[in-house]
Amino acid sequence: MQGRILQADVERRGLVLDPRTKLLLLITMATFVLGGAGSRQMSFLPYALSLLPVILLLSARAYKAALIAAAVYILAESAFRLAGPLLSGPVYFILLGTRGILTRSLPSLMMGAYVVSTTTVSEFTAAMLRLHLSEIIIIPLSVMFRFFPTVADEFSSINAAMKMRGIALGGRHAGKIVEYRMVPLMTCSVKIGEELSAAALTRGLGGNVRRTNVCEIGFHVQDTIFAALCLLPYGALALSAAGLW
Amino acid sequence: MKHEKLKGKDLINVGIFTAIYFVVVFAVAMLGYIPILMVLMCILVPILGGIPFMLFLTKVKRFGMIWIMSILMGLLMLLTGMGYYALLVGLITGGLAELCYKSGGYRSGAKAILTSGIFSIWVWGNYIPFFINIEKYFSTRQEFGQAYIDAMTALMPMWMCPILLASAFAGGLIGGVAGKALLKKHFVKAGIA
Repeated sequence: MQGRILQADVERRGLVLDPRTKLLLLITMATFVLGGAGSRQMSFLPYALSLLPVILLLSARAYKAALIAAAVYILAESAFRLAGPLLSGPVYFILLGTRGILTRSLPSLMMGAYVVSTTTVSEFTAAMLRLHLSEIIIIPLSVMFRFFPTVADEFSSINAAMKMRGIALGGRHAGKIVEYRMVPLMTCSVKIGEELSAAALTRGLGGNVRRTNVCEIGFHVQDTIFAALCLLPYGALALSAAGLW
Repeated sequence: MKHEKLKGKDLINVGIFTAIYFVVVFAVAMLGYIPILMVLMCILVPILGGIPFMLFLTKVKRFGMIWIMSILMGLLMLLTGMGYYALLVGLITGGLAELCYKSGGYRSGAKAILTSGIFSIWVWGNYIPFFINIEKYFSTRQEFGQAYIDAMTALMPMWMCPILLASAFAGGLIGGVAGKALLKKHFVKAGIA
């Protein structure tokens, strides 16, 4: 399932956004939800922004992912609000940690999943070129972009295999956890990487000429709306920094 | 070693290894919600990250690859909400690590371990907000609860700042040694390193 949600699927991506808008969305989520920037008056912001990935995932017809994420978020938040004040000590920290991971990271993770699953590598590269970034940053970035789903997929398969052999926390060979996961992961990643570079070289990556790109990217009405939504919190931050709000 | 321009294959390697490195870092970083582990992360991340990093170093033959990886890690920290300090620190330490490995002709094993130590200092960048203004840092993180904030504040007096820097470096060295041992045990005979 993990692999499927992270593979770019052009047929059912719903609302078409420019990759640059998606990047702005991602940075906004990271700053305000994950990073928790903003003054005390803006404490409602993370909740409001957390709605965005749900809306976008629904528009991309990833109903299951959107609903599960929303349910988990609400569950974690309400559990903390209701049970939090009654607990103390380690139990409290566990609840706090779970809630922290879920409500802070989950929205950004969902936004990341949305961006990766609705953007092809070519579109991403085209957008990066429009931003006039150097090729030495664009190529590694687009490889990473393409490679994260693969690594995550391989990692979960290796994890499952090792668990079966008793190499897990609480298993018979717990001491080998690190080595027996890292080595296969690195071996297969290097192999996949070699194939990837061979494939990329046949497409002329790293040549001396400027590569062309057939992807049509550009800003539309929906981009303007989402960009404006993203800029609002930054504006509020500037206002509160200036002491006006 | 002739000074050559980075080729497409090198840049692809940078991308692949940054992805592996980031997955490892991310898996470890999830533990940081427990206060004491937040401190230990400064050692744990470099040790575990050192293993893929050492394999990466065997692929580095041209100037710039380590530096780019350091910058990319900084960008990823920015995207995952850790702030821009890791990017600033990474800009410097990545360049130093690059120069260190270059001085060994991109081959020296001892220099590779030292490079892993220097490179790992970027982790320390993530802790800078604690030392600049811990009240401000937690004023936007009230939902962590007062118990967590008190525990973290007690764990992060000013003198911890250089200690964390040193432990990131030491963690990188340990990770480098461990990575080298693993390379010898598994990858050299498999023909990958």
